[in-house]
Parts: sequence; structure tokens; C-alpha cells
Amino acid sequence: MFVYDPASNPLNNNEWSFPLLEIIHIAGFTLSIGTIAVVDLRLLGLGFLRLSPKEILKATAPWTLVGLIIMLTTGPAIFSSDPLMYLHNFSFKFKMVALLIAIVYNYTIHRKVALEGGPSPGAAAVTGAVSLALWISVVFGGLFIAFV
Amino acid sequence: MSLAAVMHSIQSIGFLTDFRESALAYPVVMSTHLSCIAVFGGMILMTDMRLLGLALKNYSVAEVVNGLKLWKRVGGTIMICMGLLLGTSEADKYYPNPFFWWKMTLLCCVAIHAIVFRPLVYNHPEKIDEAAAIPARAKWAAVLSLAIWFGILTMGRLIGYYEGPKA
Repeated sequence: MFVYDPASNPLNNNEWSFPLLEIIHIAGFTLSIGTIAVVDLRLLGLGFLRLSPKEILKATAPWTLVGLIIMLTTGPAIFSSDPLMYLHNFSFKFKMVALLIAIVYNYTIHRKVALEGGPSPGAAAVTGAVSLALWISVVFGGLFIAFV
Repeated sequence: MSLAAVMHSIQSIGFLTDFRESALAYPVVMSTHLSCIAVFGGMILMTDMRLLGLALKNYSVAEVVNGLKLWKRVGGTIMICMGLLLGTSEADKYYPNPFFWWKMTLLCCVAIHAIVFRPLVYNHPEKIDEAAAIPARAKWAAVLSLAIWFGILTMGRLIGYYEGPKA
């Protein structure tokens, strides 16, 4: 039977690899969330008004994806350092639910509204606000893992 | 009065003591600090990538630099306020922490970067668009900005790993 012992994980056997992964994780979500936020601010009508939401989405989407890939590679690696602790951590569970919703939302409703325009400017603004709120929830959930 | 004593008296200010000891306010401010990094740090990244000619190439440098400027400032302001709260409320702990001082040094580098490169690059982005190729000064501005900010992020995270002077 396969038994996983976190003590055998290289992440727990040197001083530098865990913080290094965290730093890359933060840089990764900075890239993804930052580029999504640019679209959100446009949907909210708060900036970048010379360009349409569609143009901004198309220009930023590849970088959002790069950021997501970095974050979804480093995240599970960090998780592997102490799976049981994370699985029992309320904030971690909250983060995973928020993350799942945020990713699905980003590639469905958010994408559709940015590409096709919402039914109204108000609806587009709500779409952008919800997106920002979802991603900020993910960040809060992540940080609170260390505080609950 | 030594710097250590100054740091101690700062963190002893009433509301900073309350803040430090609050189970909720401290992590909330920290999360806000981190959210600002995510939302607005990404904009710094995109500006730099545009200056390097790596991203958003359908848009002029002027559009990217001017479009993101206001929001980077809003984010920077929130981030500095949150950072001040975090730093001053734990001033005793931060004083011997080398990563904290590295971060402060790098933040000074951001100021120097701005003094040097604003007149050369950021205040006149349209001049970069007029050039046949992206000029070296713009690429230097971007590379140095990326390096300094990545350093700040790294030092910021490492502050939390410092365990005090070796006995």
C-alpha cells in the first residue's frame, strides 16, 4: 500500500524550497489576477475606456493563463508539503471553493460579457465587480490559512 | 535614542498595539496588502512587459503606460498604507530582521528608479512609440523595474521566515 509521508517531501527537507515556491506562487497569481483586474476595471467603467473590454480581454488572456498555470503548479506542490493540515484547515477549504468558482466564472460569464458586451453597462459592471470580489476572496483565503 | 528604541516606541502607540493584538484586523490588513499586490502588481508587470515588447504589442506604449498609471497609483497608495500598519505595529520584530531592511532598501531603489526613468521613459511614452524600435533606455527601465519588484516581493515573503538573531 502506498503511504505518503510528508517528511520524505523535499519541500520539508531544506530551508529554501518552500519559501521559493511561495514566492513563485505569489508572482504567478499577481500575473493572473492583475491581468483579470484590468478587464474588471474596464467592465466597471473605471479605466482603459479608449479600448473595449473585448480588446483588453484578448490582449491580456494569454498572460492570465500563464499566471494561472504557474499558480496551479506551485499551489499543489505547496499543498503536498502538509496535505492533512491543509485538508483540515477551514480557510484552505474556503480558498479551494472560491478558486474553483473564480476560474469557472472567469472562463464562462466573465469571458462572455467581456467579449460580447453585457445586456447593459450595469450588468457589465456587476460582472467585473463579482470577478474582483471572487479573486480577492481567493487571496484572503490563502493568507488566512496561516491564521485560523 | 537608538533606532531600536525608536522602533519600540512606535509600536507602543496605542492603536498600533491594539492592531497587533487583534486576531482579525492583522490578517485582514495583511490580506489586503497581498490583494493589492495581486491586482496592481500585475499592472506593473504588464507595463514592463510592454516596454520590453513582450506583451500587449497591439497597443501603443503610451496607451499601456498612461492607461495603467492611475490604477497603479491607487494600488500603491493602499499597499503603502497597509504596509505601514503592518510594519509599525511589529516594529520591534522588524528591527533585527535583515529581510525587512532589504525590502526597505529596494523600496528606495523604486524611488530612484522613478527619479531616473520618469523623465526618460514614463513621462513621454509617445516618444517610445515614435522610435523605430523600443529604445534601450525603455528596456532598461523595464528590466530594472521587474528585478526590483520581484526582489521586494521575495524579501517581503522572507520577512516571515526570519527567526531572530542566531544565539
